[in-house]
Amino acid sequence: MGETVEVGTRILTVEDDERIRTAVRLALEDEGWEVEEATRGEDAVGAFERSPADVVLIDIMLPGIDGFEVCRQIRRRSDVPIIMVTARADTHDVVAGLEAGADDYLTKPFVPKELSARIRALLRRARSTDGSTAKMRFGELEIIPSEGVVTSEGRIVHLTKTEFRLLVELASQPSKVLSREMLLERVWGHDYFGDGRLVDVHVRRLRTKVEIDPANPRHVVTIRGLGYKLQP
Amino acid sequence: MNGGAPPTRSRFRPLAQVGLRARITIAFSLGALLVSLILTIASIIIIRQNLLAERERLVAERVAINSTLVADKIGAADVDTQSLFGSLSTAGKPSVIVRSAKAGGDIPISLDTRYGAAVLPASLTARVLDQRVASTIRFERNGEILLAVGAPIPNSTGGYFEINQLGDINKSLSSLLVPLLAAAGVITAIGAGLGWWASRRVLRPLSDITQVAADVAQGRLDSRVAYSEWADDVDLAPLVSAFNDMVAAMQTRIDRDARFASDVSHELRSPLTTFNASLEVLRNGRDEMPERSQLALDLLSSDMERFTQLVEDLLEISRFDAGAVRLELDEVLIVESVEMASRTLSTTPITIESDPSLQGVIITLDKRRLMRVLANFIGNAAKYGDGARLITVMRATHPPIDAPDEEPMDWIQVGVADEGPGVPESERERIFDRFSRGEMGGRRGNDLGVGLGLALAAEHARLQGGSVWVENRNDVISGARFVVELPLIEADDEDSDTWDNDTLGLDEVLVGPSTSEVTSELPVISIAESDPGRAR
Repeated sequence: MGETVEVGTRILTVEDDERIRTAVRLALEDEGWEVEEATRGEDAVGAFERSPADVVLIDIMLPGIDGFEVCRQIRRRSDVPIIMVTARADTHDVVAGLEAGADDYLTKPFVPKELSARIRALLRRARSTDGSTAKMRFGELEIIPSEGVVTSEGRIVHLTKTEFRLLVELASQPSKVLSREMLLERVWGHDYFGDGRLVDVHVRRLRTKVEIDPANPRHVVTIRGLGYKLQP
Repeated sequence: MNGGAPPTRSRFRPLAQVGLRARITIAFSLGALLVSLILTIASIIIIRQNLLAERERLVAERVAINSTLVADKIGAADVDTQSLFGSLSTAGKPSVIVRSAKAGGDIPISLDTRYGAAVLPASLTARVLDQRVASTIRFERNGEILLAVGAPIPNSTGGYFEINQLGDINKSLSSLLVPLLAAAGVITAIGAGLGWWASRRVLRPLSDITQVAADVAQGRLDSRVAYSEWADDVDLAPLVSAFNDMVAAMQTRIDRDARFASDVSHELRSPLTTFNASLEVLRNGRDEMPERSQLALDLLSSDMERFTQLVEDLLEISRFDAGAVRLELDEVLIVESVEMASRTLSTTPITIESDPSLQGVIITLDKRRLMRVLANFIGNAAKYGDGARLITVMRATHPPIDAPDEEPMDWIQVGVADEGPGVPESERERIFDRFSRGEMGGRRGNDLGVGLGLALAAEHARLQGGSVWVENRNDVISGARFVVELPLIEADDEDSDTWDNDTLGLDEVLVGPSTSEVTSELPVISIAESDPGRAR
């Protein structure tokens, strides 16, 4: 980490509590990011349509349409990294947020350093496409990391940036099992106590896109007790 | 140990071991047995009375006839016994007593001495000879029931008597007794069957309720007894509806508590978020502050960290209290996971000792909770025991601690040992209580921990059916060993729908975490794969 922040990175925070919003904005601005604020879900969707941010931070409990819905609406238009913020660590909220298309989540009260680390990880992921230029083949699946493109039987598969990064991580160690912890650390920048559900939900989503039969995955397979691996 | 004392159980419960159903059945069969025995005895008595009365009537008729037949013959001076009784038709033993003033008394003439005139009861002979009335008497002699019938002989002073043996009646009665007793047995069995059936009917709502109570205990709060099945039963419907009402009330209450905990959680978390973010902004400008402000900021920072942790722990423990926690079971390579955790959680290296039979074993447990417990133990060791030095992963086999009578089961024990001063005997249970400080509190100095960590560890373990405790290191080095023990449930091959058989190519397993830059230094654990398709 410790990368220099690209000038002009914009973060949209959707939070109805004015004090939290302001304090988070100050902390994020200290990191050198530009922060745009929205109080209501509807405003957030409108603001994102007018000028898409680089990262979106959504509180789940919002007046009007809730955070899940905001997440779904933004996700329909864009693969921008989305972090859900929840005041509850319930499985229900976390999984619902991830199912709605969030890339990561944070539980209040979070430490701003943790938030900026997550944002950095997402941004890094978002432009991790530079590097190796080789194509990787897994059966009918073809991954071109440098172009951020995945094709299945020649057709382009649309992945979010997190899904793409996850696939590339798995592909970079072909036929080796990567534990959830390792994937969390590499893809999300979490420490060891990250939440394995994050990986599970993303793997599930990834399968619906790259597998011919997502119920019986051939490429992204689960190795019980260990983790996941990608195979031809 | 695990906070609450295990319930004491009585080992002696002779009556309690007979279930309600068995007792109902026994009562029914005893009742049936009693009724059928009374019926049997009553019928035997009535039949016997009838048979006797019939016999007496028959004998009396015959005696009346025979007494006239002998009348002619006793006139002669020498009465020949043979000729006297020869012509008579009799089933009994006939006798004649001639009252003769000449001879100075009664002259008995009998065919059979055993059942002769001498045997006749005096009351009978008196009635017949003195009062000249035909009489019947039943009496017992040498254990034999006899019927004696006498009639005055017309135109004489004598009397004619017959003794009948009634043994045949008893014989026929006893042959009747067998089918009657058999019938009693059948009735008893029917009674037992009836009791079994009736008790099932009575107990079915109880077994339904038991099932629902078990469901509720396992967290399925929306489980109810199907009321419609019992609605038309005036006796059972109130029980079922009262039970359902109770569960509903409990569910409402738990939901309310959980909602309250959730509301409180939100109310506490929101300002803390603001605090932390604002504090971060202040810290970013710390260098420009005067020294006094810097000190104040540092105090604020460190206490805010502690306070945040306290709120997190409080909220977590209140979720336990509200019953709002759920297990999330994972399949975990236990030894490898503990190794990983120890590397991440401790800044100093920790020796890991594990039971060789646990290598590569996949266990079903809530990994996050186990890791929280280990994090707490390791953190605790760092604070009070000069750091964790040894982690043991062992197997154990014993019955559940709160049910010592049950079958022994397998357990996994993860122990975190330090080389500190240990925990005095008197403190070993108390330190798992909430906010308990014990003597350790005195040594906390500036680093005032919050006494919820071990209590939470106990809850995490208990939720999985396990327990936590602290003991002295049982090796040469002194120190404390904190142990978490969880049921050892080896993951089943069949129960995972995500399990694929295509792991044959598995040669290396990469287990994080590490930085993505230094891939060559990744901890690599080799798993010997002798059994294809099985990762254990």
